[in-house]
This record gives sequence, C-alpha cells and structure tokens, in this order.
Amino acid sequence: MRNWMELKEILKKVVLLGDGGVGKTSLIARYVVNKFDDKYIATIGTKVSKKDIQVVRPDLIINLKLMIWDILGQKEYSKIRTSSMSGAQGLILVGDLSRPETVRSLEDFWLKEVKLSVGNIPTVIVGNKVDLLKKESMEAATLEAMGERLGYPTLLCSAKTGRNVEEIFSTLGEMLLEGVVSTAKTRKEKAPQTLAEVVDFIVQDFCAQYGDLEKAMLIVQHQFEEAGVDIRKPSKDAVLRALDGLAKAEELTLTKSVARVNLEERQRMVILSKG
Amino acid sequence: MMEQDIKIETLIVMSVAIFAVLATVAFLVPFEDSNTKLFFIALVTVLTAINVVGLFMVWQSSPTIVDEVFLMTPTGMLLKHYTRRLRPDQDTDIMAGMLTAVQNFVRDSFDEAGGRLNEIRFENYDILISHTKNVVLAAIISTKKPEKLRVELKNANDDIEKAFGERLSHWSGDKSELGDVDVLMKKLLSGKYRK
Repeated sequence: MRNWMELKEILKKVVLLGDGGVGKTSLIARYVVNKFDDKYIATIGTKVSKKDIQVVRPDLIINLKLMIWDILGQKEYSKIRTSSMSGAQGLILVGDLSRPETVRSLEDFWLKEVKLSVGNIPTVIVGNKVDLLKKESMEAATLEAMGERLGYPTLLCSAKTGRNVEEIFSTLGEMLLEGVVSTAKTRKEKAPQTLAEVVDFIVQDFCAQYGDLEKAMLIVQHQFEEAGVDIRKPSKDAVLRALDGLAKAEELTLTKSVARVNLEERQRMVILSKG
Repeated sequence: MMEQDIKIETLIVMSVAIFAVLATVAFLVPFEDSNTKLFFIALVTVLTAINVVGLFMVWQSSPTIVDEVFLMTPTGMLLKHYTRRLRPDQDTDIMAGMLTAVQNFVRDSFDEAGGRLNEIRFENYDILISHTKNVVLAAIISTKKPEKLRVELKNANDDIEKAFGERLSHWSGDKSELGDVDVLMKKLLSGKYRK
C-alpha cells in the first residue's frame, strides 16, 4: 500500500579482536571516522571509531552506524577487554596470514572469549596481510576452512593495499541488518481509518522520516498552527493545508521526489478517511 | 567569577570570619555603657545572619550551566545528545563510546568492587555521570557547581530508566524504537528537576 521509502537509523556496536600486531588498527585506519589517536588503545585498552554504511532496500533506506571498538590485542588484559565487549552486536576477528599462531588463536582463544562474554553474535573472520602471502599458502586455506566449519564469512584482505577492507564492513553490515524490515511491514500495513488516526499516523511518519524528533515535532506544530488544525477535532481541509507545509519541509531535508510521493500518499489517506 | 566558584562551605567560613572580626571590634572598642555594647553585639549578629542568608540565596539562585548532555546506554551507544555549543570537529557517537571506554578503564583498574565513575574534572570543565541499570546520563558543565546538578541528573535518569529501561535492555539499535525520550530530557534541560 505504501510506496515511499522509509528511513531508518540503526546503531550497532562492533568489536575488533585478534592478537597484537595482526593489523587491526591499520585495517580500520583508512576506512572509518577516527577522532582519537591510536595511542588510546595502549593507554586505556580501547579506541572507538565509526563507520557509516547506507543500505538501500526496495522500501527502506538504512543508515547503519557501526561503532567499532578496537580492543587491545594483548591476551593478559582480559578484564578491560570484557568490559569493552559488553553489549557488542557484531565481531570482526583478525588474524595475520604471515603468522600462523595468530590464525590459530582466533578459534582457540578469541572466539571462546567472545562467546563467554556476549554469546553468539554475527562474525566475520579476516585474514590480514594477504599482500605478504605466497601463492597457495596454507594459512589462507586454514582460515577459510575455519570460517566454513564455524559458518562465518571469511575474507582475505590487506590493510596496506586496501584489498577487501570495505567488504569486511559491508559483509558484517548485511549480517547485522538481517531481519530489519520497514515499519510498514512490521505493522502489517493496517491502514488508519478515522481522520484523527490518519493525522496521528502522518505525524509519526513525518517524524520517523525527518530523523530529528525534536525538530520534526516543532515543524509539525508550526504547520498545524498555520493551517488551523485543531488536533482534537481536525478538519480535512485544514489537515490538507498542513500537508503542503510538511512537504515543503521534507523537500529541504529529504528530496523533492520523496516529498512529493509522501504528499500524494498522505493526501489520499486524508481524503479517504472517515470523519 | 566568585559566584561560579562558591560552595556552601566557603559561605560558612566567610560569614564566621565576618562575625569574628566584628565581634572582636565590639570587645576592643571602649563603650560608654554595657547597653551600648550589647546593642552593638546584637547588631553584629543580625548583620552576620543577613550576610549568611543573602550569600546563600545568591548561591542557590544562580543556575548550573550545562554545556552538553549525553544520553547513552551503559555499553557506550549514544541515544541522544544535546549541546549549547556547535563543535563541528566533534563526533558525538565516538565521544560517547570513548567516555564509556574511559569509565570502563577506571572501574577495572581501580575498583575491585565494581563501582562506577561519577565525575571527571578537567580544568574548567566537570563531567557528571549518572548511572542506572540501562541508562547513563553524562553532563558537561563549566560553572563548577556540580553538587546542584547531581541530584537533577539522578532524578532525570531514574525517570528515564522507569520509562525506557525495559525497552533499552533489549534494544536492537534502531533509533525509531526508542520512543519519545525528549520529553524527559527537555524537563531536565529546562531545569524542571531543580528543587
């Protein structure tokens, strides 16, 4: 029934783990928003960075913010590591393909620790420094076999050349967004009936698409006042006038075409409503 | 400014000092009769009392200025951010994460009993942090009167926990599922939690 795009903003906490020196920090350095120096990893055991990913689906645009917690790789500091892992919803496990012991410890140590702390979460296994690898390397095969056995996607990449680095985040992003559907689908698209219900639906929809609830409500309030909408007993004419104002606000924040589609759909709902 | 730095202890010390000076003067000055002397001492006492009450009212009426407020989950995810200052270089999501990382570090390094970091002081800034099970409120203030804001933060946090705690305990990260937390945050920012 609805044919406009819904915008969703989703925040996910992702932890980056692996032995010291495998290249975790280098892996994210060029591809994420870094606001703090890498020295924080050595001083407080963690550094937080952010990666924004936009996922477009037929009726849904998702702005996914991956908050990436790069955690100290020294195995002794388990207490601080456990605190930092708390609430993690995704995991990137990194091994150094030129150091076999770091690949083995992914399953033997890191994965066990994550399972103890946060349970089973979407995981991507990464073999870094593929640029140093000789052809038909045993380590790459071992890593891929491990990923297959555990059921996790495996990527061979290089922080130095940039090979497959973006794919790490997009693969994990897709895994984290599995099951995310538009609010319309969640609500099974039960159309509002009375004019009051339609108005309520439009306000909620406008706020959800606008993003900033506080500003959105101010705009709604202003447009309703301008159009003379009595929220307790709205009239169709007044609501239709207010819709024009809301569409103008959406032209500035979304796009003209999205604002026009929204306006037409909302006008149709108001006209068809009872009351 | 003195008004910004003043604490209740300072007020008491100042008032006692004024009383002591005036009382000493009252005993040192050779009054003609004891009634005049008693009248002077009574006057000193009344003036000192007015001084204490006046200073206390000035201290109480001047508001604590909050520069920024971060509403977060205990795992470091930023739910809302409010600010008086535009800081384009600042990424508030990362700030919230790092603030949580620092708290984790301090807690894990210094407190075996699992306590929580409630305040960070840096030059002209105080960061006050209030915790409940599912909500963390951190306020950055530059007026050095944290004691007044601490209670407001706690009351606001308790209300947010009551209204949104259950939802936040299994929150997926979808901001549209949060609900209208702005109502309670506006109450805090407009000083309605002030007693």
